[in-house]
Amino acid sequence: MTPCKLDVRPLLARGEEPFAAIMSAVDALAPGQPLCLIAPFRPVPLFNVMSNRGFACSDRALEGGDWEVIFTPVSAVEPGLAPGSASAAAFWPEPAEVLDLTGLAPPEPMVRILETLEAMEPGAVLFALLDREPMFLFPELAQRGHEWAGNLAADGTCYRLLARRGGDD
Amino acid sequence: MAWFASAILFLIAALGLMVAGAAGPAHWENGRALAVVHLFALGWLGQMMLGALLQFAPVLVARPLALPALALPALLMSTLGVLLLAAGFLALDGWEGGILLLEAGPVLLAGAFACGGAMLGGTLVAAGGWRGSEARVVLAGLAGLVLVWASGAGMVLDLTGNGPGQLIEALPLHVAVGVGGWLGLAAFGVSYKLFAMFLLAPDGDSAQRRAGFVLALVALSLVLGGLTAVLTALSARLAVIGVAVAALAAAVLYLADIRRLWTIRRRPQPEVNMQMSRAALAFLVLVCGLLPFAAAWGGRWAEAAVFAALVGWLSTLTLAQMIKIVSFLTWIQYFAPRIGKAKVPVVQDLTNAGAARRWLWLWTLGALCGTMALLAEMPLLFRLASLALLAAAIGLAAEAVAIRRLSHLSPDARPTRVPVILPPLAERRPRNDPMQA
Repeated sequence: MTPCKLDVRPLLARGEEPFAAIMSAVDALAPGQPLCLIAPFRPVPLFNVMSNRGFACSDRALEGGDWEVIFTPVSAVEPGLAPGSASAAAFWPEPAEVLDLTGLAPPEPMVRILETLEAMEPGAVLFALLDREPMFLFPELAQRGHEWAGNLAADGTCYRLLARRGGDD
Repeated sequence: MAWFASAILFLIAALGLMVAGAAGPAHWENGRALAVVHLFALGWLGQMMLGALLQFAPVLVARPLALPALALPALLMSTLGVLLLAAGFLALDGWEGGILLLEAGPVLLAGAFACGGAMLGGTLVAAGGWRGSEARVVLAGLAGLVLVWASGAGMVLDLTGNGPGQLIEALPLHVAVGVGGWLGLAAFGVSYKLFAMFLLAPDGDSAQRRAGFVLALVALSLVLGGLTAVLTALSARLAVIGVAVAALAAAVLYLADIRRLWTIRRRPQPEVNMQMSRAALAFLVLVCGLLPFAAAWGGRWAEAAVFAALVGWLSTLTLAQMIKIVSFLTWIQYFAPRIGKAKVPVVQDLTNAGAARRWLWLWTLGALCGTMALLAEMPLLFRLASLALLAAAIGLAAEAVAIRRLSHLSPDARPTRVPVILPPLAERRPRNDPMQA
């Protein structure tokens, strides 16, 4: 579903408080519709407020110091994704790298994924096919600020993983 | 991994006492022998299994561990509980002070098992683990743990003069559910996953696995029925025979299933841990061969069957996989953060595979000689076998410490920070939570 876009930069430039505008935009969302917020800073206090209202968020820095935050209603996360998957994965760009890591012994798949991600541009996405869920990879991805979304194929024979390179901070 | 360290110390203590002659052919019922048996079964294998399950329950169901804060109290209560129970058994040899310890042991163990059960059961049940072919076997193993504790605590009540008096009749059921119901089923569940991982074989259910699980449930129900019979002063003989038949069939189906995994593997040359796991499985075959005689005649046949199961099958399996798991987790701990930023060694570089293999062969030799000594009722051979087991255990413990300290790596491949021996008790898995990004 197309996210509802709200740019609060003009409001803030006029010295107005954007909170009410954001809340009325949230109230006007269609069921399952995400909200895409553009702000001149990373609106950290909002993350909690939105989390309490049942939204997961994913943010990225735009050029010129602005931030884009996508709030996705949690129920709208694609069904069947493994717990811990980033809710906004549906809005990620097409994968820039595709790795077939089936038939490799652990921890080789993890090594290949992390090495490839480290060489990619921030925000770029990698798709990997694995024999099983890479349990030890997830904490490492989170630690490095990368996001992921994955699930086991319906027949249980392989695991599909999308990982998005985090920003350099 | 603190569980592993504690377990290894119990193993060395138990084997040291066996070398000193605390137990041997036809000497398993005095206090010292019971202390040795419980140091081995509860302290070594039980703690090893709990520690391994805390690592692998999250892998089995792809969820973080529930209630990880309980890991430390569980380890402390379990360690202290085993020590008190073992010391308490000395009361049977005439040490008055032991009675109180014997009563306190099961209470602490109940606390430890409750904590362990809450973490493992909570993790597996919350994720719908009974639907998974591996996790549901582990859940059945946890049910076995409840039964082994209940039957053991009941016998302790009798021994300390607080029980009805006939509960000692439950001994065969207590041993059967301890070896097969708790440790055996937990080992089945973990090995399904581990073997598939290390052999690069596909995960997944099979007809043998489903049938084996049903038989395991039948065996556990028969144990429960037998224990009820003992409580009501009836004979548990029929239940013991039934448990043996069901356990034998479940073990044969398990072996068939592992054979299936072995034939569809994609790794042509298995590593040491899997080669030596074959030796462990050969002991399970031996146990299956001894089981009918053990159930029919008891005595030395039962001693040999239980020894072959605990020392030959379960301990060889545990020791072989321990070396692999310790090196894997150590590698993850030190080198996962460096991937893509610096050159990292391969996991195999952390281990001296040749040394591990030699110690594991010595272990299996000791286990085989010990089993033979029990069958032939040769106390001296049994002590020699125990000495071989002790040497192998110390060798493998030293190898585990060397792996933890990254001793086999060349100095330039080692991280600058000196590794600590023990990482956290239970690995916590951070959720991929953008709120904390």
